[in-house]
Amino acid sequence: MTRFILRRLGEGAISILGASLIVFVISRLSGDPVVLMLPPDAPASSVQALRQTLGLDQPFVIQYGMFLTRALHGDFGQSYRWQMPALRLILERLPATVQLAVAGLCFSLCVAVPVGVFSAVNHGGWIDRMGRIFAMLGQAMPAFWVGLLLILTFAIQLEWLPAFGYGGINHLVLPAIALGWYPVAAMTRIVRSAMLDVLNTDHIRLARALGIPERLIIWKYAFRNAAVPLLTMLGVYFAAMLGGSFVVEVIFAWPGVGRTVVEAVFSRDFPVVQAGVLSASVMFVLANLLVDLSYGFVDPRIRDER
Amino acid sequence: MRLLQVRDLQTHLHLRRGVLRPVDGVSLDVDEGETLGLVGESGSGKTMTGLSLLRLLPKGAGRIAGGSIQLDGRELTSLSEREMARSVRGRLIAMIAQDPMTSLNPVWSIGTQVMTPMRVHGIESGARLRAAAAEILRRVRIPSAEKRLPDYPHQFSGGQRQRIVTAMAIGSSPRLLIADEPTTALDVTIQAQIIALLRRIQTETGAGIILITHDLGVAASLCHRIAVMYAGRIVEQGPVRSVYRKPAHPYTQALLAAIPRLGAGSDRLTAIPGQPPSLAELPSGCRFAPSCPHRMAVCDTYPPETEIGDDHRAACWLHARPN
Amino acid sequence: MSVSIATPGPRLLGRLRLALGLRGVPWIALLVLLLVLICAAGGEAIAPNDPNDLDLGAAFRPPVFELGGSFATPLGTDNLGRDLLSRIMGGARVSVIVAFYAIILSGSIGALAGMASGYFGGMIDTLIMRLVEIQQSVPSVALALILAAALSPGLTTVIVVIALTYWAWYARIIRGEVLSLKTRDYVAYARVAGVGTATIFLRHLLPNILNTLLVLATLQVGQVILFEASLSFLGLGVQQPDVSWGLMLSDARQYITHAWWPITMPGLAIMLTCLSANIVGDWLRDRLDPHLRQL
Repeated sequence: MTRFILRRLGEGAISILGASLIVFVISRLSGDPVVLMLPPDAPASSVQALRQTLGLDQPFVIQYGMFLTRALHGDFGQSYRWQMPALRLILERLPATVQLAVAGLCFSLCVAVPVGVFSAVNHGGWIDRMGRIFAMLGQAMPAFWVGLLLILTFAIQLEWLPAFGYGGINHLVLPAIALGWYPVAAMTRIVRSAMLDVLNTDHIRLARALGIPERLIIWKYAFRNAAVPLLTMLGVYFAAMLGGSFVVEVIFAWPGVGRTVVEAVFSRDFPVVQAGVLSASVMFVLANLLVDLSYGFVDPRIRDER
Repeated sequence: MRLLQVRDLQTHLHLRRGVLRPVDGVSLDVDEGETLGLVGESGSGKTMTGLSLLRLLPKGAGRIAGGSIQLDGRELTSLSEREMARSVRGRLIAMIAQDPMTSLNPVWSIGTQVMTPMRVHGIESGARLRAAAAEILRRVRIPSAEKRLPDYPHQFSGGQRQRIVTAMAIGSSPRLLIADEPTTALDVTIQAQIIALLRRIQTETGAGIILITHDLGVAASLCHRIAVMYAGRIVEQGPVRSVYRKPAHPYTQALLAAIPRLGAGSDRLTAIPGQPPSLAELPSGCRFAPSCPHRMAVCDTYPPETEIGDDHRAACWLHARPN
Repeated sequence: MSVSIATPGPRLLGRLRLALGLRGVPWIALLVLLLVLICAAGGEAIAPNDPNDLDLGAAFRPPVFELGGSFATPLGTDNLGRDLLSRIMGGARVSVIVAFYAIILSGSIGALAGMASGYFGGMIDTLIMRLVEIQQSVPSVALALILAAALSPGLTTVIVVIALTYWAWYARIIRGEVLSLKTRDYVAYARVAGVGTATIFLRHLLPNILNTLLVLATLQVGQVILFEASLSFLGLGVQQPDVSWGLMLSDARQYITHAWWPITMPGLAIMLTCLSANIVGDWLRDRLDPHLRQL
């Protein structure tokens, strides 16, 4: 088991390293970053000085090395727009994003699990068919449109919930729904198909033959087996939430990493963009890692395999 | 009073392509401490018969269309689904599954899997549950039973898994055990061990056993009586020795003749010609007629069951007495 | 035991299912896609009004079925009095162009990478798969953002961004296909006979994965449309005066308290197009390559 953990941690580290490379390469694509970091009327001498400080006259590989070392020390440069260290800015906004992503995931699960399980148990019945139709519709609606519609209905027409901002649970509801909306369809399908597979297995049939009540069979036996494939995808979906939060945060003026990065992109504030994207990648990789590790807990066969 | 009395049982499967009748008028009896072998080829309806006793038919499509099943005098066909689950399945009648590799839930420990039926049926509870589970596993000869309760199915061999499946079945001391091909997925040496296990359990608990199998050898080593099924009906039944030594029905004869024997002289295997009729279109006459070497004109009407020897019956015009 | 059980269903629902393509040819979905293509091809020629025609006096006119609506602008007007219907039809062009080029680009890159990875194996395989993993460790929107920040926003950028985001998906699946194809006899014979690698790729591998590629591409259309809409919404995609559904929603957002139709209509266009694309994609997949259902 320990070997498994170590190996996955190693792979995760490589992924993060790769992400940093991508971030670095892309940000160099835009041309001379120095020009972007200084006000447009800066004298040539300061441009040259900054270039030397940043080591931009060095070969590419060395530049990357410097970038990496600084990054590991948490130094991504100063944010031009917010006038503070880029990384600190991102870290301040991070909890809000994680909160939103978790809330979105909870919403998705709260819808997908019951619908998926009942669709499978009842398969062919009307819950199943209705579920599939709504799932299809859900997968065709972009998250930001869902968000706008939610605001339109619940904040403006009905005035039940606030339209934007950060605060208590009130403020979390609509953004969470908007964010969690898209994966519901796919998640429901996974739960449903996993449950259908399990309900057909010999061991479930044997459990039924031994007189175990149906409710126990569905939730204790079958769902436990079906949860395994769901958990694998959970990491993917959490990661998708982190990515999708960018747009939802903009709509709901949610003070998270996503909105900050978008604003930074328009201000050409590269340190923040770099810090933000890299942080998003790290969270992404960590989320997947956690899922892989939890896989070992959930399916005992994996534990001994690795 | 017999332990199990089945009269004219009919089970139909309603499928898209028609209605199948895998169990089409089956009558059999099992006594306490007796093992009845239900023998036949694939598709003969033997597994369906076993499932019908437990009323475990495919949801929506399968239903018992007629007949009666009496366990200790209690009619099972009129019980509600809840009552079947609560008082009959796993409690009065238990099933030993066919494939030990897939019959155990891979994510639960064997301890949990053995304890749950016992807990659900109220046999034991609380702290005594673990002890009871360990005891049952000891009875089926799982070594270090107590210590192995938290282990998972993949940590056991095929033969051990079959024992665990058996343990799950006998946990609540059922009156009747239905063993559906319990040895098919195992190799020959393990087969013998499982057969010995079943025999021992029968002696210890006095339960009746219905052994469903297509393997005549296995049937011979465990069963007291045997019933041969073909195309949804029982064509011959009787004490094992009697049926094997003096098979009355041509199908039984053909089955026994088909078993290859060393040193028999001939180097060609005897096969049974033709195919069993489709369970959707069953003829009104004898179902074996098309493949029967002794076919007669009268076989177009279904033959009555005639008594051959003591408790040995066969449904064939060759033995029918003129009435 | 496996028995296929007949499930009788009410007839009305049966017709609905037919329309949704849950059984048989999805006519309505195909019709919608055709309409989108016509709008994209016809452009201004067939729209009732000029998408960029300002008429501040007619600003926020509601759709025809509400009080104050007019048949001249059946779906209403936006904050600058522009006809929503014409703008939606104009936006179809962007969606189609982006979808077309982005899918071709990502499909080609992905297929090539997948074929190389699966066929050559070894270092090339490891390298390409590492690239796939690394790229998949950056969330796609974040990747799009940083790319759009580096290059300047516009149609080309969107296409490039989408292509770079999705190639990995193709690569992985094609690699799997090629791995299994590699074991087929005719490939082995070709290699033994000394046939050049390029020829093997073109004449033996490619025809066999074409089916899968087609299915993957159609499955992707819906996602690409949504992605493009998101990018345009954020302002990273097409810019004014070009019309894009995402851009329309971005404009409408500021006036969300004034009018509901500038938000609902373009969104409906996105949803219907994406839905139809998904339905057709699923239908093609079920007919051509059902084992891709795992996706």
